Amino acid sequence: MHDLCALIPLGDPSVADPFAAVAAAAAIAARSGGRVRAILLGRVPDADAIAAAERDGATDILSAAHAGLSEPPQAEHLLAAFEHLLAAETADTLFLLPAGAVGEELAARLAIRLRGVPLGRCTSLDRDGGQVTARRASHGGRAEARLTTQAPRCFASLRRPAAAPAAPGAARREIMLDCPLPNDVPPPEIRHTAGEQARRLEGARIVVTGGRGMAGAEGFALLRDLAALLDAATGASLPAVDAGWASVGQQVGQSGAFVTPDLYLAFALSGTAQHLAGIGLNARIVAVNSDPEAEIFRVADLGLVAPWQEVVPELIERLRAR
Amino acid sequence: MQVVVLLAGVVDPKWRLGTLGLRPGTAQVEDTALPRKLSPFDEAALETALQLRDADAAVTVTAILTGGAESDGLLRAVAAFRPHRAFRFGDAAMSLWDPATAARLLGAAVRAATEAPALVLMGREFGDSDDGVLAPALAEAEGWAFCGLAHRVALRDGDILLHRTRGARDEILHRRPPAVVSITNERGNRLRHPLMKNVMLARRAPVEVVAPPTAPPPALALRAIAAVPPAQRGGAGRVLTGPVAAQVEELAAYLRASTTGAA
Ligand SMILES: Cc1cc2nc3c(=O)[nH]c(=O)nc-3n(C[C@H](O)[C@H](O)[C@H](O)COP(=O)(O)OP(=O)(O)OC[C@H]3O[C@@H](n4cnc5c(N)ncnc54)[C@H](O)[C@@H]3O)c2cc1C
Ligand SMILES: Nc1ncnc2c1ncn2[C@@H]1O[C@H](COP(=O)(O)O)[C@@H](O)[C@H]1O
Repeated sequence: MHDLCALIPLGDPSVADPFAAVAAAAAIAARSGGRVRAILLGRVPDADAIAAAERDGATDILSAAHAGLSEPPQAEHLLAAFEHLLAAETADTLFLLPAGAVGEELAARLAIRLRGVPLGRCTSLDRDGGQVTARRASHGGRAEARLTTQAPRCFASLRRPAAAPAAPGAARREIMLDCPLPNDVPPPEIRHTAGEQARRLEGARIVVTGGRGMAGAEGFALLRDLAALLDAATGASLPAVDAGWASVGQQVGQSGAFVTPDLYLAFALSGTAQHLAGIGLNARIVAVNSDPEAEIFRVADLGLVAPWQEVVPELIERLRAR
Repeated sequence: MQVVVLLAGVVDPKWRLGTLGLRPGTAQVEDTALPRKLSPFDEAALETALQLRDADAAVTVTAILTGGAESDGLLRAVAAFRPHRAFRFGDAAMSLWDPATAARLLGAAVRAATEAPALVLMGREFGDSDDGVLAPALAEAEGWAFCGLAHRVALRDGDILLHRTRGARDEILHRRPPAVVSITNERGNRLRHPLMKNVMLARRAPVEVVAPPTAPPPALALRAIAAVPPAQRGGAGRVLTGPVAAQVEELAAYLRASTTGAA
């Protein structure tokens, strides 16, 4: 049966939940047994990260530090360092990386480099004998595929599972790496976006999102006012991003951020599968839509059948008056 | 400079998937009866290629659409944007579920366009089955540079300049050709409308088809695929009616109750 090993890149704040991969591995181990290894990779040894990996259920933690990594680290450097770390790896292993842009790119590239099978972003993974079975969403979350492989090395990305098994405690080891890192890829120029993304979508307890029906940037400015009052993050559907009313980083959905707030306020969006795929199942959805037939009402905890123009300004006023 | 844009199309997201399944006895998805569209990311990648062509006479754009004859209508729609060349690659039996096999096939598709690609563009998700694996897999398989999720691309002195957003930061990356770049949607890369004249021309033009090489048996096998109902969510499903002012008051009370203790 495949061993479980979570690969955790550290030092990139855009990786919203790096230890999700450890928790996901622990959940698989709770079903089908085995130890949960975690390899943490960062510029410096990080005691907090080791503790977090242990909390999420790692039983063997290797903390690897490479002074040549930048912060945030470049994908090419992480790849070279992980490749070096996994070179000695001979046992059949299911490698798990955190879901999200960084983890998913690393999983795909490492798999091809190491002649393993990239499984993509899976909703569930099972090991049975020498076989790995993966389930994945397809067709915008409207279908599910079941895939199997006998490959000794598999790479998948996973989100944090809903329920976490108890953490048994871990054996820890720290190493300093000095393997060569590629120097032919220039580092990116980095600019921090101001203002509107001050509050990150991932990790926000309340998210206020607008869709195509907002019909302009003015409506989105009001949504940002509302979000500020609620200490919420602002999101957008794909058509709203296409229209330029919100930035690419604010897109929620299958092809955008995955958010897990307590409360999700959806204004003037219809509630397509592609959009709902980006909202955690525990979020309570509040929907404002002028069409009583809108799909979003089927998943809403509370719905208002009204044009947003009649709701948002008045709501802001009432919340200010509280 | 050779720019290749790889397009996959998706089943029209507004269409019901009830009939989706495997062709009996095969690992191939039967979806040829379902209407296809370019995905928003196909469109963004295509527009990016067209803008590079418009900006630089030295850029040659080849558009490649994967799939079988069911995709010919889509290929004609692509041809109406007048890339230098547009062809369909593959057949309805071509399965892109195994990324290693898919990367090999897509590499062959690029080589059918040019022996010296400088830039390969594709959407952040390639078709209905990919969640972002195929673009980096292609780059690794070919030993080309990679940048994922860019929303703006420019060519400067033979270098590729890429804008992308990662979390709270905007990045500008430089890549030396050849490179694979996956594109995400943004206002700046919304697909233009084709000229009606070119749509008519493309409708009459023959479709060029390139056959894929035979692929080795995949290491990752598709065993089943089926439509699933929307995920179950809790929630009262209470939809308010009546005067809007009263609805808003109720919403405000709901928000106050939900956020006390939080702020
Ligand atoms: C491969 C692929 C990936 C995709 N990924 C994503 C993704 O990640 N995220 C995403 O969001 N979409 C995604 N989409 C797009 C998705 O299919 C839908 O097109 C999109 O989610 C619809 O956005 P919307 O709800 O804002 O717009 P619409 O579906 O057009 O809905 C607009 C809503 O606004 C309502 N409305 C209009 N005026 C008002 C008013 N004055 N007041 C109140 N309500 C009003 C209307 O009744 C309607 O319900 C993807 C599509 C594909 C093919
Ligand atoms: N001939 C065409 N081929 C492909 N896409 C097109 C074409 N004409 C318009 N579009 C795009 O289709 C989208 C509109 O889709 P819809 O609203 O579903 O008709 C827009 O993003 C357009 O850029």
